[in-house]
This record gives sequence, structure tokens and C-alpha cells, in this order.
Amino acid sequence: SLVLEILNNSYQLSSVPLQILFYVNGIYYIFYFLATLAMIVYKSQVFSYPDNFLAPDLALLFIMAILEALRLYFGSKGNLTEEEAPLGFSLVITVGSVILSVYFLVWQTYVLKADVILSAILLFTYGLESVLQIIAIAAFVS
Amino acid sequence: VAKLCVCDLLVAQCDVNCCCDPDCSAADFSLFTTCSVPIVTGDSHLCSQKAAIYSLDVEANPPERIFKLIDQINPNVFCIHAANYKQALSFISPEMPTSENFDQLLKQFGSATFSTEFDSWSINPDSQDSSDANETYRYEYGVPIQTVDAFLRLPSPVVSSWCSDANPAGFLVNQATKCSRLVSVEKCSTIQAVSMLFYVNSSILAKWHEFVFQVNITVQSIVVQSLNGIRTLLDSNEGLRLPTILDELCINIVLGVSYHITYTEAGEIIEAAASFVLGAITKEALSIQQSFEISFTQVNTKPVPLSGNPGYVVGLPVRAGFRPHGYPFPNTNKYGQLTILQSTSNQDCLAAAGARTPVLFGYNMISGCKLRITAAMECQLLTQTLLDLLKGQNFPEYVASFGNSQAQDVLDWVPITHLHISEQRIYNIFQSSCQIPVSLEIEVKWTKYGSLVNPQARIVNVTATVTTATLNQPPSGRERTIPITSSVVFTDVSSPAEPGYKARPTINVKLPFDFFFPFV
Repeated sequence: SLVLEILNNSYQLSSVPLQILFYVNGIYYIFYFLATLAMIVYKSQVFSYPDNFLAPDLALLFIMAILEALRLYFGSKGNLTEEEAPLGFSLVITVGSVILSVYFLVWQTYVLKADVILSAILLFTYGLESVLQIIAIAAFVS
Repeated sequence: VAKLCVCDLLVAQCDVNCCCDPDCSAADFSLFTTCSVPIVTGDSHLCSQKAAIYSLDVEANPPERIFKLIDQINPNVFCIHAANYKQALSFISPEMPTSENFDQLLKQFGSATFSTEFDSWSINPDSQDSSDANETYRYEYGVPIQTVDAFLRLPSPVVSSWCSDANPAGFLVNQATKCSRLVSVEKCSTIQAVSMLFYVNSSILAKWHEFVFQVNITVQSIVVQSLNGIRTLLDSNEGLRLPTILDELCINIVLGVSYHITYTEAGEIIEAAASFVLGAITKEALSIQQSFEISFTQVNTKPVPLSGNPGYVVGLPVRAGFRPHGYPFPNTNKYGQLTILQSTSNQDCLAAAGARTPVLFGYNMISGCKLRITAAMECQLLTQTLLDLLKGQNFPEYVASFGNSQAQDVLDWVPITHLHISEQRIYNIFQSSCQIPVSLEIEVKWTKYGSLVNPQARIVNVTATVTTATLNQPPSGRERTIPITSSVVFTDVSSPAEPGYKARPTINVKLPFDFFFPFV
């Protein structure tokens, strides 16, 4: 009956924490993107930032934004439709996002303290999401 | 950071109040009052940087310096945590140019200021076939005359009096140089610069930078100078005479070369001739003096040396001439010019050999002589002699107003006005009045003509004033000397510059012809 349905949600495989995390990640990433862009502009004005260093940083930031959008879309879709394929694809993209995040944490031309803080939070979020995604995939497969 | 010290100016000496100076001992520190440099830090943008803090502890007796090395934390959230760009925080040393990276560095840093090539020297391949290619390839004033291998050499002394063969002859630059050269009889056939061949060897390029048309240097005349200085002009042109050793002498050594280059209006050289003076040297001779000359003549013109173009140049002779048959005929003979009496060491007027000196523009001159009058001199004869002496044989009638006045421009010639002034001595009215000329004063009035920026000198008036005085015949047997003078004075009668104003703008209002229709 209805009470059983509410109490017994064992047939809902979608992970609620993962979905919450995707949502929060999306908002946080928008903030991260704008902040990093603003800081790159600040660095180019205050420090000596030649073009052949500025161009890769900006390019990687925009690539990261695209990857992030794809990742969140597929992850969310996979989670809600309880399919493992999009979720797996999202996991693969997460690896790329992690690498880019590490770039902005360590290998950027100028790493400010704010950059360190933002990227660290982002990496932490990615780590958490990856764990939840693996659990969700495991739940969907079985 | 601990080693940086901005106030350490004196080497191996202690700077006053400089707490970071390594040359200071504890005793020096005790004499300081403050620390001029309290803290030395690295780049303040970094999140964490080392800082050296210097301070004086005045409480202790004696005062001592405290040195602390700490890590300074930048609280700003935008401090640089890490920089992967090495040159960000320090000045980079520039790349040393080597043969590999020179071209790239030149492209990167080279600009118009570093260009070594004069723009007009680069031959534009597109304009080779164009009709005004002649424009690009003509010689201009001062440009070195090019020959097949390098350029026409006019050896001249550089620092000392020794000849330097690297002096090029400039187009239209008349030059005359004298220099010494080391020679010896043994080596006379090997030294190139004493052989005629060296000077006529290469052919001159007719047009600048164009190898198609070449002009050979022809030998115009050869003068042979003997050991005692007598010069003989060789009649026939036997061709080149090369230095040869003959009886302990070396003959046919080039002692002087005189080039005559004929050019056209378009800046092309069409003829080149060289006149040589050959001499001989003995075994004792160590060096010879060579003289070189080059002069330029325009084709189809008779070379009249200009005294300015167009205005007279100070120091060049004033051009004058006569006017037979209608228009002035300028004299090319130096002594047919405007001349005045030249003072000689023998100040006797009648013994003077008629030496005259040309009047040079802008140079006021005065000259004279002393006339010894005896009782037996005839007045008329004396007057005529003195006039001839003062004015010379060919006193001209016209003077050119510009330095480059041509003979056919009648209006460019100024007539010489003659004035006679007689000095009347009142108390000699009872003597026979014999007036003899005692002085000639030529006053040349000139004005500045043309623009204010580059005014040209133009002669407007020439007045020759002969002053006569009464001849006092001395009693017989005795002599008297009177001075005879002649002078030239140049006066500047330029009118002051007039301001020139632009014409007032007019309002150009035109009504259409049927404006007043239907009334008109």
C-alpha cells in the first residue's frame, strides 16, 4: 500500500546525496569559474603576464567549464534515470576535471592563495562525487 | 635576504647607521643611533617571504645590533602562493646574441633605429624597368664616384701627412690634396700607388650602381718632372709609362694626378680624363709628396667658376665683365675680374710690377703703395700712370649681381658707377693745379635676397670713387712721397625684413543670377 511505498524505498536506486552534490557543485562551479576568470584578469594587470602564458590558462579554464557542464548533465541524467552508462561517462569526465583542477591548483602561472582555496574545495567536491558515483553505479548494475 | 644591504655603499668600510653592513663590527654598532634600513624583505606579493629585521637595542650598554631572520606572512588572500613563471618576480638577464639567435633577436628587437641600411641605397627591383629608373641611379653631390671594383680614389692625408688610399672622390666635390708616400728605389716597381696603372686601371660607372655603362679613364697629358724640378710636357701620348729602374734612379713615378670628370645634367658621368706628373727618385729618397686633384665640368659648358649659387659666397671672387656688342662678356681670366692693387714688399708704386689681387666678396681690402715724386715728373703722365696702377689694365664695366649670373642675362649685371672727388687744398690756390689720383675706393653695396631662412647675397650697386689731390711739386732736387691707396668696402644695404601677412579671407558670396526673379 501507500505506507509501504513510502517506507520501503529500496527499489529507488537513485542516490539522493549524489543529486544534492551535483546541484551544489553546479552552483559552486559557476562561482569558481567567475572567480578564477576575475583573478586571471587581476593577475594580468598587476603582474607580468605575457600572452604565451595567459592563453593556455584561459583556454583551460573554458575547457574546464565545458567539461563541467557535460559532467554534471550526464551525471545527473544517469543518476535520475538509474542508468549506469551516462554515469560512467560522467565518471570519466570527472577524471579530466580533476586533472584540470589540479592544474589550477599547482601548475597555473600564478597561484594565489584564493586559487588554492577554491581549487581545494573543488577537488574535495570531485572526490566526494566520485565516491558516490561509484556507489551509485554499483547499485545500478546489480 | 640576509645578504642584501641597501645602505652598504662603502666597500670594506663601515657605513654609518647601516645595521646590515657586514663590514661593521660590534664596536661600530655601539656608536649608531638608529638603523637606516630596519627591514629587508623579498617580494611583498608572495604569501610567505623571508625578512631580515635589523634593530638597535639602545637599552643595553653598549648598544648592540639585533638581527632577526623571520618568515613574513602576507595576510592578503590574493598573495602569490606559487609562481610557475620564473621571470615573474625578478628581472631576467637578456639573451646574449650568438650567431644562432642573432637573426631572431634582430627581428624581435630591431627596428628603424637599428637599421644599418640607408633606405635609398636598397635597389628596388620593381623600378628597374620603369621609365624613371634614371632618377634613382644618378650621382648626387657628395656621393662617392663608383668604379668597377670600389670607388675612385683620391689619396689624401688622414691623421698624419701619409697618403691614405681609401679616400673616395665625391661627385661634384672639387678637391685638391697633397700627401706623402714612402718609396724606395728597390721597391718602386712593386708599390702600386706610384704607378700610373693604379690610377687609370678601373673604369668609372656612368650611373650610380649600374654596371652596364662604364667610362674608361683616359690619359689626357703626361708631364715629366726632372730631378731638379723642370717639367716637360710630353708631346705624344705613348700610353702608360710604368715605373722602371734606370741607373740607380726610379723613373716614371707618379707625383701628381689631376682628374677631370665631365658630367651631364642628369647626374651621369660621360668622360673621365687624368693628367699625370711623373717624376724620378734617387736612391737616397725615402718619401715623395704626391698631389691629387679632381674637378668637374658639365658637358657642353665652358667652365666658369661660379662665385655662389645663386647668392655670392663670402670669399669667392666678384665676377665682372665688359659689354661689347650688346651684352656682357664675362671674363674667365682671373685678372680680368674686379681686382685691386696688391701691396708689395717694395712699396714703390712705380716699381710695382702690376700685381693685382682679385676682389673677394665680403672681404674688405685696403692696399697701397708710396709714390715718390721728384720735380721732374710730368702731371699728365703721372695721372695716367696712377690711374692705370689703381684701376689696372682691364677695369671691368659690369659686375654680376648674383654669383651664378649668366652672360646672356643682361639684367643680372650691375654697371660700375665712377665718381671723381677732388681734394681741394685751399691754401695752394697759387700753385699750378695738377690733380693726380691718390686713392680708389670701390664700394660694393649688397643686399640679402630671398627667404629669411637662407638669404642669398646680391650685389646691387658698385661705385668706384677716384679721389684726386693737387700735386705739390717739390723743389727740384728733393723728393716727396705721397701714399696711394685703394680699397674695397662691402656694405650690406639689406632692407629689414618686412612682415608678410596672409591675405584676408574674403567671403565669397555669389547669388544665383535669377535671385531677384521676377523683379529682374
